[in-house]
Amino acid sequence: MTRIVVPIGPQHPLLKEPISFLISLDGERVVNSSLRLGYVHRGIEKLAQQRTYVQNVYLIERICGICSHIHTTTYCQAIETLLGLDVPRRGLYIRTLLCELERIHSHLLWLGVLAKNIGLDTIFMYSWRDREIVLKMMEEISGGRVSHAVNIIGGVRIDLDADRLTMLESGLNDLNGRVEELIGTIERDRSFAARTRGIGKLTLEDVKSFCVVGPVARASGLDIDLRRDAPYAAYHELEIEVPVMNEGDVWARSMIRMREILQASRLAKQIIRTLPKGPVSTTAPRKVPPGEVVSRAEAPRGEVFYYLRSNGSQQPERLKIRTPTLTNLITLPEQLKDVQMADVSAVIAGVDLCIACADR
Amino acid sequence: MNILHMLFEILIFPGFAFVLFTALFFHWLDRKLIARFQGRIGPPWYQPVADLIKLFSKEDILPVGTNEVFATLLPLVSFAFVMTASFYLPFAVPTTQSFEGDIIVVIFLLSMPSLLYFLAGWITSGVYSILGGNRSLLQYFSYEVLFLLAISGTVITSGSWSLAGIRSAQLTSGSYFLPQLLGFFLTVSGLIGKLKRDPYDIPKAKSEMVAGPLTEFSGKKLGLWQLTNQLQTVVGLSFLVHTYFGGYWQMGTVGGFFTFYLLLILLQCLLSAISAIYARFRIDQLIRLNWYALIPLALIHNLFLVLK
Amino acid sequence: MKLRSYFYLLPNIVRAFFSKPDTVNYPSITLEVADRFRGSVRIKAQNCVGCSLCVRDCPAQALELEKESKNSFRLIHYRDRCTYCGQCELSCRFDAIFLDNEYDEPSSNRAHFIVTLVERVPEE
Repeated sequence: MTRIVVPIGPQHPLLKEPISFLISLDGERVVNSSLRLGYVHRGIEKLAQQRTYVQNVYLIERICGICSHIHTTTYCQAIETLLGLDVPRRGLYIRTLLCELERIHSHLLWLGVLAKNIGLDTIFMYSWRDREIVLKMMEEISGGRVSHAVNIIGGVRIDLDADRLTMLESGLNDLNGRVEELIGTIERDRSFAARTRGIGKLTLEDVKSFCVVGPVARASGLDIDLRRDAPYAAYHELEIEVPVMNEGDVWARSMIRMREILQASRLAKQIIRTLPKGPVSTTAPRKVPPGEVVSRAEAPRGEVFYYLRSNGSQQPERLKIRTPTLTNLITLPEQLKDVQMADVSAVIAGVDLCIACADR
Repeated sequence: MNILHMLFEILIFPGFAFVLFTALFFHWLDRKLIARFQGRIGPPWYQPVADLIKLFSKEDILPVGTNEVFATLLPLVSFAFVMTASFYLPFAVPTTQSFEGDIIVVIFLLSMPSLLYFLAGWITSGVYSILGGNRSLLQYFSYEVLFLLAISGTVITSGSWSLAGIRSAQLTSGSYFLPQLLGFFLTVSGLIGKLKRDPYDIPKAKSEMVAGPLTEFSGKKLGLWQLTNQLQTVVGLSFLVHTYFGGYWQMGTVGGFFTFYLLLILLQCLLSAISAIYARFRIDQLIRLNWYALIPLALIHNLFLVLK
Repeated sequence: MKLRSYFYLLPNIVRAFFSKPDTVNYPSITLEVADRFRGSVRIKAQNCVGCSLCVRDCPAQALELEKESKNSFRLIHYRDRCTYCGQCELSCRFDAIFLDNEYDEPSSNRAHFIVTLVERVPEE
């Protein structure tokens, strides 16, 4: 039988961001696939070398439209380590709170994309409706739905008053109920399970050999989470459970992500209850002493890694960013082998690609 | 006078214009219902008309290497097929003379657009079109069989191969809807396949096939394809009202007219709800479901009806 | 309970059908924005001393200071370049420049986006 090569991307209804897949089909079965990156390369690493540390915060924030806060957190952390700054605890707590809210937002968005790709538009609409709650909360506390501009070198820019804390608490309670409902659907709906179970399987060995991170790794039974293993910001003072599953398919990934939402909202509530008093930031000098530093954080998609080298001026000498998508992307040709054409969309969605992150 | 009257009947009411209007209305109803099921507001009532006007006024582009004659003929012919079918299924207003075997004609007329849909995929040279066309043909062999088997339950019980015969049998014995609930749902399942609605929209699955066979169509041709599909929905639904709900309404009366429309709306609700709650099937899942479960079920159901 | 799994979403869609829509009819209603929403850059012109701290830190080069002498300068804001991050508000030591939550209509005229925030000419 002749093989058909189906191009998916750089522009395709399945993809939200430009990336290109070439999928060879034997009938409906995928025999081979290759991917090509680089359509949204903006040269951010190079650009960062030409701007001051302060200006870079806003540049870094625009790497990704979904996990913007985690990028600035990692970046500010790196500089604070080099400067030896003692960031006030309240500032760290608020930073952590935003991280968790962003995780909720990212995972709900992801569920919507997956549901849309398998043709279950109702879940897409429901999960994006519920995502609106967390977006509203973020807008209320930071002023931006996506670009929060909360992190500054030396702390955070915003403070939370009692009104905002109660608003957060009630919002999170509302959200919990809705997420439970979504979990019920994922767990029990036959039609959802039929399209996600047993698809895009990655075994524990695969995950280890590909260095997969984040929810994809945890869905295959690898118990890693930087928030617990190498705590940053305020995580060492919070109780964290890391949900782990062994199935390793798209279904397990969606379950893991939904459980992480519940976990994130528990963490957010802990933060609201135990928010320490005091200032939210310290003043930071504009010049950073020479040295190099590695900063890591657990983004919604997995570990994000920053390497920063300073030469004592106002501008970084080198800033290297490695995002979780880049490591998880490599597994896609493996996952796409021998799946049906119709499952390609579910598999690609299952990894939760953020191409803007990967290309920078 | 007589000719004028006939022209009025064919072109305005209950013919062309009226059927088109109904099709557009039901398309809007479908979109509105799904929107409300998903917690959205949904489009305003004039949206289908606006869409149609927009498509008809757009530039019509075809890729190089496409047979232009065929690309123009296919949507026209498939529209004609469905339109003809609509004349055999009068919207509660008697028009064409019913004859023995017209149910076969209607089934034939309703299944032709699916075949033309497949051809539309083959004449355009896009890879999505060809794959979508293949899929639509694969799907064709499962739902079409099911539809025919399930609908024949009503033929067996009424003992007539004409729509009028089935209707009049139901007027005396009561509608087949409740006694043949299983057959009704099997028919609906076949009909969803025919209409390529969610969850049977495998050939035009947006997330991998872009728009399936219609990917390369644009402008007037695409508008005509969409109109065909909307018309097919109404015709398919009224087919169900004729065969399963024949006992609830009388042809040619005002009450019958409104009951007919109420039933159509209720059936549209059913279709929309089914679209809203299921994910799209995979092609192998669909064929397995049809050939291993639904078609044997339809056969057993028919056997049971024959023995009874 | 197993049967339910075939129609799991049915109760949800019925509930959604009979409750108020979650979406809003956007252009015909105005949306509430949060207090902290960063909509436009404003200035308390009397506080501005023309120190160019905000200009130095602006990540988008959206602010420009045309300085002739200590008492004669012009602070121009290019709204089409601005990312509305609010760094200028942080950098300002004189409580002059700030962001509020009003936002302006879009325009296709470039000149519409060039705003002179402060214009100070020396008194004769």
